[in-house]
Amino acid sequence: MRRLHRSLGAATAVFIIFMVLSGLAINHSNGLGLDQRHVSQTRVLDWYGLGGPENIRSFALGNDWLSFAGSQLYLNDKSVSGLSNGVGAVSSHGMLIAAGSEELLLLNHDGVLIERLPWGPPGAGPIESIGLLADGIVVVKSTGQLWLADADLLNWQRAEDSNVSSTWAFSEPAPGVLHDAITRQYRGDGLSLERVLLDLHSGRIFGPIGILVYDLLALAVGFLAVSGLIFWLRSRRNGKLNR
Amino acid sequence: MSQPTLVLAASVYETSAEFLDRAFGGSAPEPAVVWLSGERKSTVRQLLGHNYPALRVRYWCQNRRSAWVLDKIGKELPITVGVIVERDYIRSLKVLTYRENRGGEVATPAFTDQFDGVALQANGELDARIDGISGATLSVQALTRLASMALFLHNDTDCKDGS
Repeated sequence: MRRLHRSLGAATAVFIIFMVLSGLAINHSNGLGLDQRHVSQTRVLDWYGLGGPENIRSFALGNDWLSFAGSQLYLNDKSVSGLSNGVGAVSSHGMLIAAGSEELLLLNHDGVLIERLPWGPPGAGPIESIGLLADGIVVVKSTGQLWLADADLLNWQRAEDSNVSSTWAFSEPAPGVLHDAITRQYRGDGLSLERVLLDLHSGRIFGPIGILVYDLLALAVGFLAVSGLIFWLRSRRNGKLNR
Repeated sequence: MSQPTLVLAASVYETSAEFLDRAFGGSAPEPAVVWLSGERKSTVRQLLGHNYPALRVRYWCQNRRSAWVLDKIGKELPITVGVIVERDYIRSLKVLTYRENRGGEVATPAFTDQFDGVALQANGELDARIDGISGATLSVQALTRLASMALFLHNDTDCKDGS
């Protein structure tokens, strides 16, 4: 039994050290920012089966690109906010304006959110496209009607002339480097370091076999505790007898 | 209390349009915005415990009454709250949309009515004690902090003086 205790102790030492360290890290996950950090290693993302977005629609706004990937909005290669059903994006009065079918996001050029505007003038349907008039006024097309914003995008008015001259936002292929960076980010956004650590700690990252192996290792650790206690009690009793 | 509408697992108790109708008797004024910058931004950060997730906040003001639609994350998801402030006290606070799985008790009038008549003290705290709800601590904290923010912003705009 003593030999088994020694062998199992040596065999499980690495496992125990890993469980202790990973457990400590999980306990302090928020403080360490593990829930905010995302995995970017391609192999790990492949292991989790996390694919890239089905398509990326990018809009060139001066020197910047606003891109929709899934329900995520990117300014250049930086993820800035969630926005479902991206329709288009324009730049006006120093603001970047990204339109989803149900809401608009106003951003500054650093990608900081100025305001999230739910779309919903009375009688308006979902946003179909967004554009600009010649004077920079933002115009939105919704169920065949045009809506004009004021300069601060506080109010919307239905355009009486549905033939107003406007330039509609259209998506363009983003530069390859940007496309790749967004794809990498998109995949990584779905997997936090905390998630990977939790799965490593529980063995789930290796599937059902991993859980089984962890169970066996946990039983081995339990055996070590019990056998260690028995040895200690025996040596204590032997010590008393020898005295 | 009216039954909430379920939209994508979020409980919508009142839409923003319904909230504004209630706040101004069906004739809501044009919206205005207050920018969160400088000292104002710093005070809001102190009241909320973090930066407000937008650089400007829209509000509606009429006859020294203002209405605010504000968001704050309870545990994981944002809670949308409508606050009506008159002179320097809260006339009404209502949860418009609740998205968390638990803690929805903060949307009941039994809880939100506690905010009626509450004002902001110079130290940034409310002048009345808000009783908590066990199991909804973070949501209670979110509503309390948004109440403070709405009172501060109301006092920091011309609306307080009737402009």
